[in-house]
Parts: sequence; structure tokens; C-alpha cells
Amino acid sequence: MADLPPQLSADLTNANVEVNAGYSGASISVFGAVFGLADRPSDVVVVVRGPDAPLAVARRERRAGLWLNGTPQKVSGAPGFHLTASSRDLDLIADRRALQAAGAGLDSLPLEVGGGPDFTRAVIRLKSGEGLYAVDPKGVRFVDRGLFRARIDLPVSAPVGLYRVDVILFQDGRAVSRRSRDLTIEKVGIERLISGFAHQRPWSYGVVSVLIALAAGWAASAAFRRV
Amino acid sequence: MPLDVYLPIAEVSVNAPLLVAAGALVGFISGMFGIGGGFLMTPLLVFLGVPAPVAVASMSGHVAASSTSSVLAYSASRGVDFRMGGVLAAGGALGSLAGVEVFRWLRLAGQADLAVALAYLVFLGVIGGLMLWESVGALSRRRRGEADPPPAQKRPPLLYGLPLRMKFPRSRLYISVLPPLALGAFVGVLSAVMGVGGGFILVPAMIYLLRMPASVVVGTSLFQIILTTSLTTLLQAGRNQTVDIVLTCLLVLGGVFGAQLGARASARFRPEALRVLLALLILAIGLSMGLRLVLDPADPFVLLPAGG
Repeated sequence: MADLPPQLSADLTNANVEVNAGYSGASISVFGAVFGLADRPSDVVVVVRGPDAPLAVARRERRAGLWLNGTPQKVSGAPGFHLTASSRDLDLIADRRALQAAGAGLDSLPLEVGGGPDFTRAVIRLKSGEGLYAVDPKGVRFVDRGLFRARIDLPVSAPVGLYRVDVILFQDGRAVSRRSRDLTIEKVGIERLISGFAHQRPWSYGVVSVLIALAAGWAASAAFRRV
Repeated sequence: MPLDVYLPIAEVSVNAPLLVAAGALVGFISGMFGIGGGFLMTPLLVFLGVPAPVAVASMSGHVAASSTSSVLAYSASRGVDFRMGGVLAAGGALGSLAGVEVFRWLRLAGQADLAVALAYLVFLGVIGGLMLWESVGALSRRRRGEADPPPAQKRPPLLYGLPLRMKFPRSRLYISVLPPLALGAFVGVLSAVMGVGGGFILVPAMIYLLRMPASVVVGTSLFQIILTTSLTTLLQAGRNQTVDIVLTCLLVLGGVFGAQLGARASARFRPEALRVLLALLILAIGLSMGLRLVLDPADPFVLLPAGG
């Protein structure tokens, strides 16, 4: 019994976040249970990874008293959103290599940036500043023996698309079990209608936009002439 | 807050009443001075968190709407030279097509921020400074009871020496068509790079370079702005898919009423006093944009959207 690897179950309270006209970010919970703990210290790490977004980073350089952008460096492998929630500090849970293999923490992002480590660190720092990359060492709470819960706050700036939520169980610094769940953030209703129109028929959308603008201007003028 | 609305293209959540108010304020200034107001609105939207490309593109729809609203008010009082506006807009169309390519190249080189800030500093600074100097001079002459000095030259060779002369009856001009075309093209390039309609350059250029009567300058500038910004909106939607119609509508809602009030308010001020106000506004925006080039940045690195 003690040699049997512990099993993990997990799910999301809401696997489909709907972006409507009143959307201002969302909060979902990951909950789950660990079976067969065998009285060993166990840690749960939740990694939420958003869709990749193409990006570039440039260093600000001072020339002739003015701040200019240096040559932009392409960034690949940067997710649009990345959150690691855990039951305690990541470096107490496992060493760097094990975390990297599990994809947990900001050090394990598969970033490829030209220009060296300064540029890579800048990408992580700037994205963290926007609230899109985060590490929450108190994000996972064991609510009862083997039963855990993690709250994930998705800021309004988190991109729409397909997300993956990995729930990883660590024991003695090793990842022993793992569950993955899909999470989608998608536009619905009027938001979906407008966005679909704008991207699928851009020229018709442009014509409609111009007509609306001109008609609104004319209508206001006509309304004011009467009074 | 229930009044926050999620913008489908910009993909940010903004406070709707705030945007309507911003639209009304800029519309008021637009109707009052005969400028599009893009040089005000673009920095304002970016400050409110709208991504810059979406701000520039959606703002052009707002400028088209508020300009339509006030041009109708002006054309009722015969204050629009449609022929001159058409010539300026033809040049503007060529210029903005070229400007879009220039901007694309700047963005690939990572220097779009610099170009925008420099363009704001140089053009707003120069235009604002010149206008302030001229209009303060006119005001102080009036206070001392002196007559305005006569124009240096009644028939400048730039206007009358070039070929392809054309009659502009509403402006009482019979001049070469080339200077207005070139002016329109120049403004078109700037509007694509700076995300503005270009009225702040057109209005003084029409007064001082083309020698148009002041009574038709504002209306004609607005008319030209409608044509240029309609084209810009179409191009931005078609090529870059950056026009957020919800954002445009919120701005328009405030803008069209603001523009009406502005056009009415302008009748109550002396033109010189109006020009002093506009000059100060232009200078302030130009200098504050220019400050970004000099002040130390918050972070030594900056993220840019990739691909260009």
C-alpha cells in the first residue's frame, strides 16, 4: 500500500469563462483531492498557462539626451498568461530542475529571447507588472486531509483563447502525479458577434463603422437644428 | 462597477461614462476650433489603457462623426469650401497611404514610439508656438488700437506662379492646385504616423499659406477631416482590424453633442482669443509628449507587439 504512488484528482469550478459586455476578469477555483498520501509531506502546484502571444522586447537607450528604443528582440515561447499557485514556496517544494520539468514557476518559462538573459528577465518583469505572470506561494490551500483548493484570478487583460491548467503533486521534491484540465476564455454574445465580424469580414466591418460614424454625426446635427 | 464595458476589439474593460465624457470634451474642442481633436484623444485613450493601435484606429471614426456633426452646422452658414476640401482630401488620401507604409517600417525598426513622440513634439510645438506668437501679437495690437499690418505680399508666387490654376469661388481664390494638394498629402502622412486628423496643421496653413478667408477655414478643414478620417477608418479596419466599433460609438455619443456645443460657443469668442487658447492647448500636448523622450523611463526595457 505504501509503495503505491498517490493518486490525484482535480477539476475546475468553471472550465469555460464567458467574455460578455460586462466582463471584468474572472475568478475560478481548482479543487481536488490526493488519495494515498501515505503520511508523506505532499505539495500541490497548480500551473495555469494561456495561449502564446507573439512579442518583442527592446532596451531603452539614451542617445543625444533622448531615450530611444534599441533593436527589438523577438520573443518566442511567451504565454499570454502564466500563473503558478502552490501550497508553499516553490523552492521549498522541489529543486530548480524538477520545477522546470514540471513547468512550474517563472524560471521554467520556455522563453527564447535574443539579446541575452537581461532581455529574458525584462520580459518576465514587465509581464509580471501587467499582472499576466504571477507566482502565488499561498495559492493552494489544503482544506481537509487530502482535499485542496486553489483560487485563480484571471485579470481582464488575460488574453482570450485556450488555457491549460496543470495540477501537479510533489512528494520529496519529485513530481509524482499530474492532472491536466482545459480552460477556455471566449467572447460570447455581442462581443463575439462584433469581434467575428471585424476579423472575418474586415472591409465590410470598416464600411459599417464609417456609416455609423457619419450617420451619428448627421443625426446629432439634425437633432440640434430643431432645438 | 456595472458601468464598465468590455471592448470587443481592444480587449480591455473601460468605464463607459468616462469615455462618453472624454468624447464630449474632445468633440467640444473639435467643433470650437475646427480641428479633429485626434492629437488630444489618442494620448487620452492610451492613458485610459486602450492599446495604441486600437486607440488610433477607433479614434478616427470618432473624429469623422464629430466633424460631420459640426460641418453641417458650418455649411448651413456657407462656411465650407467643398472644392478646396476635396482637393486637400485627394492629397490627404495619397499621403495617408504613403504614411501607413512609413509607419509600418518604423514599427518594424522598433522606433514607432520615438517617431510619434518626436512628431508630436516638433509639429505641435512649432505650430503652437507660431500660433501663439501671431495671435498674442494681434491681440496686443488691438488693445493698443493699431490696425492689423497688411499681408507681406498680396499674390505670393507659391500660389500664383505654379501651373494648374483652379477657381475656388467660396474662398475667393484663383490659385494653383498644387500647394493645397501638397499640403493635403503632408497632413495625410502625419495623420497616419501620429494618429490625428491633421486639423491643427491645416487650419493655420489655410490661413497663412493658402490665404483663405477665415470665415471658410474652419468648415473646410472639418470637411477635409471627414473625408480623410473615413478613409483611415476603412483602411485601419480592413488592413489592421484595429477599429473597435464599441469604443467608437461611446466616443461618438459624447462627441457629436460636444461638437455642436463647441461650434455654437466659437461664435461668442473673438477669433484671436480663440487662437491663443488653441495655441496653448497644442503647445501643452506637444511638450508633454516630448517629455517622454527626456524623462528616465520607469523600466529600462519595453515590450512591443511582434510581427509589425
